[in-house]
Amino acid sequence: MKYAFFVGCLIPARELSYEVSVRKVLPALGIELVDMKDANCCAPFSIQSVDHASWMALAARNLCIAEEMGLDVLTLCNDCYESLLMVNTLLKNNKALKNKVNEILADVGKEFKGKSDVKHLIDVLYDDVGMKTIKNAITEPFTELKVGTQPGCHLTKPKRIHFEVLRGFRALDELIAATGAETIPYERKEMCCGGPLRDINDELARQVAREKLISLKNAEVQGIVTVCPFCYLQLDTGQLEVKRHFNEEYNLPVLHFIELLKMAMGMKLEDWEVKSHRIPLGDIVKGRIQEE
Amino acid sequence: MKLSELDLGLMSEVANTPRGKGILLCIQCGRCTSSCPVARITKEHNPRRLMEMIILGFRSEVIPHQLPWYCLSCFTCLDRCPQGGDVGEVMFAIRNLAVKEGNVPAGVLAQAKSLMETGRVINPIRSALDKRESLGLGEIALGGLDEVQSILKKTKLDKVISPKETVKRK
Repeated sequence: MKYAFFVGCLIPARELSYEVSVRKVLPALGIELVDMKDANCCAPFSIQSVDHASWMALAARNLCIAEEMGLDVLTLCNDCYESLLMVNTLLKNNKALKNKVNEILADVGKEFKGKSDVKHLIDVLYDDVGMKTIKNAITEPFTELKVGTQPGCHLTKPKRIHFEVLRGFRALDELIAATGAETIPYERKEMCCGGPLRDINDELARQVAREKLISLKNAEVQGIVTVCPFCYLQLDTGQLEVKRHFNEEYNLPVLHFIELLKMAMGMKLEDWEVKSHRIPLGDIVKGRIQEE
Repeated sequence: MKLSELDLGLMSEVANTPRGKGILLCIQCGRCTSSCPVARITKEHNPRRLMEMIILGFRSEVIPHQLPWYCLSCFTCLDRCPQGGDVGEVMFAIRNLAVKEGNVPAGVLAQAKSLMETGRVINPIRSALDKRESLGLGEIALGGLDEVQSILKKTKLDKVISPKETVKRK
């Protein structure tokens, strides 16, 4: 299996541990990642809020690149996923809109044809690699680790561009179960992390994150698992911001799902990866760190 | 506010934008507000009320206001609207109109400018680039920047984010 790898903006700039782990784990599961070298920003929430046409055209340009590669797109970020999947779905189903966007793209020699699909890392692991292969790849499962998941909004919403309501929740829960960890349900699981309001209204963004953290703490989890770089930033770095502004400490380590899978597959985290987490990972990574 | 200050064309203006059609379906039931994570935190934000103000033509209370920027676009309201009224989508339509009148938060403006200059909304700092190199990760230089800039020239993004006439933000 081969995918056009769309790494996005935030991950290669700030969350290298996510990128490195994906580049290591997926090939070990039989997935070949082909970099989308000239891809631009997905055009997330901020750009969609500014101008509809710019969003459509830029997202479509990325989709054209994947089409030229003859591959489906693999994204690691819920924001990239929403933008690309939404535009792909809209353009595939609306000829007038497609023509309009293609008119803009014609100047740069591109044409959207609608030949590729857009997939999130979780889709690829759950649907394409499959639970059987993943279960077979687990060599050092976690025992007695209770986590809360943050599936994030756009892994499953809006439902019209997904096949099944909250399917991503179930996929993530099953994937986590395969690593030996236990997913603990909590009240605010479906709630947004607050990420889109960072840099727009920091105070509100913090308050949304705090609601989630309170709910997670009440569920007595030992850590949080995310599948989106914004959720990760919001819940990891965000905990320090909540501490500063509300004088409250939650001390809930946050892991990218792929890191959890990586460790369960017997691969160690490197020292710099462990240190890249603002909330110390503590016992979760005991015996799972590469010795220098 | 006087009756003469209402903009009775506001609802159609919103409905005629690509993501704004849902406003026509709003029955003011309030399920959007009861689903909204931001409304849970602050009474200031109330998506139902925002829809109502658009329907009634309270332009000066919506377009220059910071309220459309309180939305997280989590799409919970969009999935729960019994009318298929797409509240979360209408929010994008409102923000697009707001930006054209100069109502754009500094953080969003900075991302739009970064997009025009670099093709990305977020760019790595020096230390991240060094780390990438030491890890043997590929370059993330954007080869297609000229294409991106040419697209954004055609969509006139520079003019969208710096309109000639702007309203005072509330």
